[in-house]
Amino acid sequence: MRRVCALNDLEPGEGLRIDDTSPPIAVFLTEEGTVHAIDDTCTHQDASLAAGWVEDCRVECPLHASAFSLLTGEADQPPARRPVRVHRAEVHDGEVWVEVSTAAPNLPPGVTLP
Amino acid sequence: MIIDQLEAPLSGSLMPTLPGHSYTDPDLFALEQEKIFEQMWNCVLRADELTAPGDWRVVTVGRERIIVTRNRRRQLRAYYNVCRHRGMRVCTEDAGNARTLQCGYHAWTYDLDGTLIAAPNLTKMPDVDRESYGLRKVAVREWLGYVWLCLAEDPPSFEETVLGEVSDRMGTTHSIDSYGIDGLKVGKRISYDVQANWKLIIENFMECYHCATIHPELTEVIPEFAEGWASQAGEKIHGAAFGEEVRGFTVDGSAGVSTLPTIAPDQDRKYYAITVRPQVFINMVPDHVIWHRMTPVSESRTLVECDWLFLPEVVDAGTDVSRSVELFHRVNEQDFDACEKTQPAMSSRSYAGGGALVPSEHHIAGFHAWVQEVLGG
Repeated sequence: MRRVCALNDLEPGEGLRIDDTSPPIAVFLTEEGTVHAIDDTCTHQDASLAAGWVEDCRVECPLHASAFSLLTGEADQPPARRPVRVHRAEVHDGEVWVEVSTAAPNLPPGVTLP
Repeated sequence: MIIDQLEAPLSGSLMPTLPGHSYTDPDLFALEQEKIFEQMWNCVLRADELTAPGDWRVVTVGRERIIVTRNRRRQLRAYYNVCRHRGMRVCTEDAGNARTLQCGYHAWTYDLDGTLIAAPNLTKMPDVDRESYGLRKVAVREWLGYVWLCLAEDPPSFEETVLGEVSDRMGTTHSIDSYGIDGLKVGKRISYDVQANWKLIIENFMECYHCATIHPELTEVIPEFAEGWASQAGEKIHGAAFGEEVRGFTVDGSAGVSTLPTIAPDQDRKYYAITVRPQVFINMVPDHVIWHRMTPVSESRTLVECDWLFLPEVVDAGTDVSRSVELFHRVNEQDFDACEKTQPAMSSRSYAGGGALVPSEHHIAGFHAWVQEVLGG
C-alpha cells in the first residue's frame, strides 16, 4: 500500500485527483464518512472523475453523467460501458493509504499510459 | 404663434422635466444600461425560487444574461451565461436543476462554484487554469428575501448604496425591517410587459398627482392621495393613512389578512412606499408587502414583475388574498396604461423640450438630476 493524501485533504462529498500514479486515481470521502479510491479517468472519454458529483456511494462523470459505483467500479448507464478499477483504500492515523489494483485499467480512446 | 418651450423659462410652481428624447433615444438607453443597470445592484429573484443545491435560473441584468444558482452548500452564486470556450449560452432554458453547468456545444463543464471541472481532453491540457477559465462571476447578495446582483467590476458597497438609500428615505432600516420581508412568502406574482421607457415608470411611481384621476380605488382607501402628495414626496417618506371607514388595504376597503406581527404602531393603518434605484419599488401596508422589480428591455419597453408578499401561514393556508391583490393590480394596470399612453408622445416635436413638474412632483427633479449625473451630465 502507499500513502496518497491526508484525510484532512478530502472534503466530504468531493474527490481528489492523485496524479503521481499512472493512470491517475481519484480518492473520495463520502458524506457518510467512508473513503474510496478508483481510477480517475472515465472509461468513455478523458475526464477526471474526481471532479464528479458524489452521492449514494457513486460518482457521476462530469462530462456525460455516467455514474460509477465507488464499491464495484461499474457504470450505471451509457455512454460509459466498461467499469473503472477499484483500489483498496484504508485510513490509518489520519492518512489515506491505497493499494493500487494490478488489473489492466479500462482507459478511454486516446488515453494511453506513458 | 408657437412658443418655443426650450427658450421659455419655467419658474415658480413649475420645474422642467427631462427632454422628450431622453425616453426615445436608443443610444441613450444603451448608455443607461451601461452606466446604471450594469453598475448598480439589481434585484432579480425571490431567494426561495432557488432552494436545493444545483437549482438555477437565468435572469437579465442590463444587456447581460446571468445564471443564478446555489452550490452544494446552498450558497448563492451568479455567473455570466457565456461559455469561456467559444461563447455559447451555457444554460439555454430559463430554469432547472443540475449538478454541473455544462455547455451544450463542446461539453465544457463547470461546477456550481463556476470552476471549469471537465472538458473533452482537458486532462491533456494541464496548462489550462480551472479557475481563470471558470465561468465569469457576478457579485451576489441576499436581502429581504431577494437575490441582488451587481455586474460592476468593482461593485459598490451594498450597505452604502441599497441599504443606505433605504435608510436615508425611511429614517432607519429598522422601519423596513419591522415588516419582516425576508420571512414573507409570495402569495401572487403578476408580470407586466409595459411599452414604456423605464424612467416614465419610476416617475409615475414617485408621484401621486395622478392618483385622484386614474386610481379611484386607491384614493378610496387612502383619501389623502387625492391631495396629490405621494408617500415618498417629502425629504423622508411618510405613512399615508387609510380612510376612517377603511378596514384594510383591499380593492373595496374590506378587511385584509393577518397583520404582520412585528410592525411598529405608526405603521398600522398606513401605506409606505419607497423607490430603490434603479429598478425596485417597495410598498408596505400592515398585512402585506407589494414588491416591484423592473427590467428595461429597450428605450420603449420595460418588464415589471410584481410580488404580493404575505405571512407564510396566510399563503400556506390558501387564504383568499384576491381583494388585496386586486387593489394594487388595478393600480399597476392604471399606471402602466398611463405610461404607455405617454411613451408615444415623447418623440413628438411638441414635447422636444420636455414638460413640467408641479410642486407635488418637484422631487422627481432629484431623480432626473441623478440620471444625468450618472450618465455624465
